[in-house]
Amino acid sequence: MTKIWVDPARCQGHARCFMIAPETFYIDDEGYGHVVEGREGAYEEENTRKAIRNCPERAIKLVETEDA
Amino acid sequence: MSDNETLAEFDFHGKALDTIFDDYAQMHESKPVGRSSKYGGFWYICKSEDIFDAEQDPQTWSVGPSMLLPSFGTEMPLIPIDIDPPTHAGFRKLLLPMFTPMAINKLEPGMHSTAIELSDQVKSAFEDSDVVDVSALFARPYPTIIFSRLAGYPEQDWPLFDQWIDDIIYERTKSPEKAKAAGDDLIAYVQRLIDDGRAGKALEGITGELLNATIDGRPLTDDELVSYGYLLFLAGLDTTAWAIRSSLWYLARNKEAQALLRREPERIVDAAEEFLRTLSPVQAMARTAKQDTTVRGQEIKAGERVVLVFGAGNRDPEIYDNPNDIDITRENNRHLAFGGGIHRCLGSNLGRKELVISLEHFLATIPEFELAEEEPWHGVGSLRLRLTGGE
Repeated sequence: MTKIWVDPARCQGHARCFMIAPETFYIDDEGYGHVVEGREGAYEEENTRKAIRNCPERAIKLVETEDA
Repeated sequence: MSDNETLAEFDFHGKALDTIFDDYAQMHESKPVGRSSKYGGFWYICKSEDIFDAEQDPQTWSVGPSMLLPSFGTEMPLIPIDIDPPTHAGFRKLLLPMFTPMAINKLEPGMHSTAIELSDQVKSAFEDSDVVDVSALFARPYPTIIFSRLAGYPEQDWPLFDQWIDDIIYERTKSPEKAKAAGDDLIAYVQRLIDDGRAGKALEGITGELLNATIDGRPLTDDELVSYGYLLFLAGLDTTAWAIRSSLWYLARNKEAQALLRREPERIVDAAEEFLRTLSPVQAMARTAKQDTTVRGQEIKAGERVVLVFGAGNRDPEIYDNPNDIDITRENNRHLAFGGGIHRCLGSNLGRKELVISLEHFLATIPEFELAEEEPWHGVGSLRLRLTGGE
């Protein structure tokens, strides 16, 4: 299935994803972005799409995983 | 002069900013990587993709001897912006937790009350006078006061801070001695705070946290603490003041945009991004090639200085529809105003919030305004406004 993934090697903590779509992304104590548990499949939602488009590091990716 | 002759003297400071958007258009049209003779000579890079790639590749592009061109009036490298990997990561990591959205949210009540207070002062100034300089009364004091709180610098010292900023940032291309003197004063000021802290005085904010922090298992040296203090000061004050001023400058010239943001203040968040994209306080930052390399077919030799022109990348026609239009409803805005990669602006969460909150309260308090006279879009000089009598 398709999942949203924040590439930790790319993320520099701009926090745009969290400001735009806080229901899908959260920020850890060092300021780096992650996907909220259970929200990995929300990539078609408008806010999430906007967050992906606005990530300055292009760190938010859609990845294919084998698990259902 | 022909276009390419203009670009051969491309500059991104002072008066040159008046017409810099024309330079950007020329670059995009005819010469996306070119050579300027200014500041000892440098290559400029204007395409968004090329700038992005360079920021992602610190192995090829060093930030030494300074990300600033010309550098500030100091011999020391500024931590962490003038530091390359691998040393860079540890220095940056110390600051990261202090600039997360959650850390910045703690300042939010004070950000609102100060914005309300300053907006009220602008309002009463308009009762006494037809024309009010909102740069001096609003755009400049606001971020300086907020920063003083965050950094743990005595808040009442802010007029002094603004004078140093003027001298260090804006006088350095014209009068390096003045910049040097102000830089020395600032260093002495930060050193005094550190001395007080070492002598047992409780220090607030970032200064206090850094004093107690360790790197590689040891406390920070005085030189490192001073460098941090110096950088935070220069990075946090005039940039935000510029962003607030340039946003108000735009709104003063565009009454429809003013009306829209007054009617639907929730749009200020997207509008702020558009102001940052098009009128950004940081138009360019420098690098040095660590090895021979090629950008868009142009050979660049090891040791040569290169300027990443963020402001031009932000107006790249390949990235943005109608790149030179300021469209406050634009939603796709992956701009370069805060840079990117390992050196992206650490204060972006703070700066964005200051810009949005200050505009919210200014527009809620001050009725329709316009420019009292033509003023440049850039810098932190005056912004003289008058009220139109409209809502």
